[in-house]
Amino acid sequence: MLELVGVRHRYDGRLVLDIERFAVAAGAGVAIVGPNGSGKSTLLRLLALLERPSEGEVRLGGVVVAGGKAPLAGAGARRRITLVEQRPVLLRGTVRENLEFGLQVRGIRRTEVNSRVDSVAARLAITPLLQRRRHELSDGEVQRVAVARALAVEPDVLLLDEPASSADRAAAQTLYRALAEERARRPLAVCLASHQLEDAYRWADDVRALAEGRLSPVTPENLFRVELPASGSGGDLQHVCVGPIEIAATTDKTGHAILAVPPTDIFVSREPLASSARNVFVGRVTRLAHQRPGAVHVTADVGVELVAVVTEEAARDLGLTPGGPVVFSFKASAVRVF
Amino acid sequence: MDFLGEGLRRAVALLFSGDADVYGIALLTLKIGLIATVLACGLGIPVGFVLATRPFWGRRAALTVVNTALAFPTVVVGLLLYGVLSRRGPLGGLEWLYTWQAIVVGDVLLALPIAAALAAAAVQGVDPRIRRTAETLGANRWRTAWTVAREARFALAAVITTAFGHVVAEIGSAMTVGGNIRGQTRTLTTAVALYTSQGDFGLALALGLILLLLALLVNVALQALQGRGHA
Repeated sequence: MLELVGVRHRYDGRLVLDIERFAVAAGAGVAIVGPNGSGKSTLLRLLALLERPSEGEVRLGGVVVAGGKAPLAGAGARRRITLVEQRPVLLRGTVRENLEFGLQVRGIRRTEVNSRVDSVAARLAITPLLQRRRHELSDGEVQRVAVARALAVEPDVLLLDEPASSADRAAAQTLYRALAEERARRPLAVCLASHQLEDAYRWADDVRALAEGRLSPVTPENLFRVELPASGSGGDLQHVCVGPIEIAATTDKTGHAILAVPPTDIFVSREPLASSARNVFVGRVTRLAHQRPGAVHVTADVGVELVAVVTEEAARDLGLTPGGPVVFSFKASAVRVF
Repeated sequence: MDFLGEGLRRAVALLFSGDADVYGIALLTLKIGLIATVLACGLGIPVGFVLATRPFWGRRAALTVVNTALAFPTVVVGLLLYGVLSRRGPLGGLEWLYTWQAIVVGDVLLALPIAAALAAAAVQGVDPRIRRTAETLGANRWRTAWTVAREARFALAAVITTAFGHVVAEIGSAMTVGGNIRGQTRTLTTAVALYTSQGDFGLALALGLILLLLALLVNVALQALQGRGHA
């Protein structure tokens, strides 16, 4: 439905986004995970048609709406996509007037406007805030109002940049519940940017990692910025410093790069295994998370934090507990460098 | 110092006497000032919006031109306009030279870059998320501009005040293209200059006080309008 194709985006000549293809299908739930400065917000602004990519195209329903020879999309295309920024702002006026704004610009009748505003306010639990103005709200309330304002216009694609960053636990639950209800009610595609993996895994169908403006070919855990020695020759085994540990990897890359260890390629054991794995790290379990049915994400401190995914049965058999000993092993060839 | 006190007493007396000459000059100044301000701001503020929000080739050069025009000497503008409006000039057929319309044109030329430059600065001062928010909620170009303008209302009101102040206080262009003709093109500033040179200090001071009063009234009116707005 909404896709970026061959996008390279620059600010003052500096490349901030380099994406061959990224698509949000109709009704999909996509999460983009990455550290601060990885390009998540820029990616969302391009998807929201608020900026024109320096190179490449943004397509909506297969039609180029930004980039290439197309001028930046007009209000017609933008009305199908709505972005809630990481630190949203409310427009001048009351919360109710803010919720009405997007409906009024679409020329929706007054009775329908009132009905939609009341409905979305109830779903996001902001009805008591409707007569307040922006300076009377906390950051978390502003964030909820901004999400309600975006849901009120019933877009085809909702883009959310760290939507729960200022919310407390209860507010975040309300927000995610409202999103789930909306998606159950109609085919709404949601693309959420977050630096919190748990949020992403909790509700997204597809989790993509973004690092230094590029989409990672693997899942978002265990991504590290590294500096590879210039002397490395093609396909050689290299020992790459990642914090206090060294990870063996086969790569012909040199210089600045991203190193990724796919969590499903890590063997988890209680004792070191006799194996061909070049990377064996002893550490302690720091967290066990049941993020998907049947799978357990095991986070261990082995000098740096690494995450491995094992089945629930394996976790039970190994007797993994937070604070308990654990050994992570993986082959040098499993390490991705890009 | 005596003549200052005497001048001030004469000024107050003239102000309350309802002198037709004095009030005629004041009303003409107000008319010219308001028309020129409306035209200069009506053209200059949208230009400022475009300069602040639309990336286009030569934008930086355009901003430099506008900012340079802020320092344009009023008498030079008057001189150029005199050439354009004189009988042999390209717009001589309008026969506007030595009319209040010519003063309005000169004032607009002087106040337009002020309105454009200050409006550009005012719009650039608005949080960019406001514009993005309006756009992502589906606002078209005009509605987005209106939304941004509402956020910048205090700064834009200051643009109008500054433009009006500049227009009513201007003398070089008004004298050159207006000619300071009694009852037709005599404004407060040209009259002050004339009466001062004639030694009628009291009358000059009275007109000067009216000029200050006009500026004060416009400021108070704009502040009252701003005060009605909420965040």
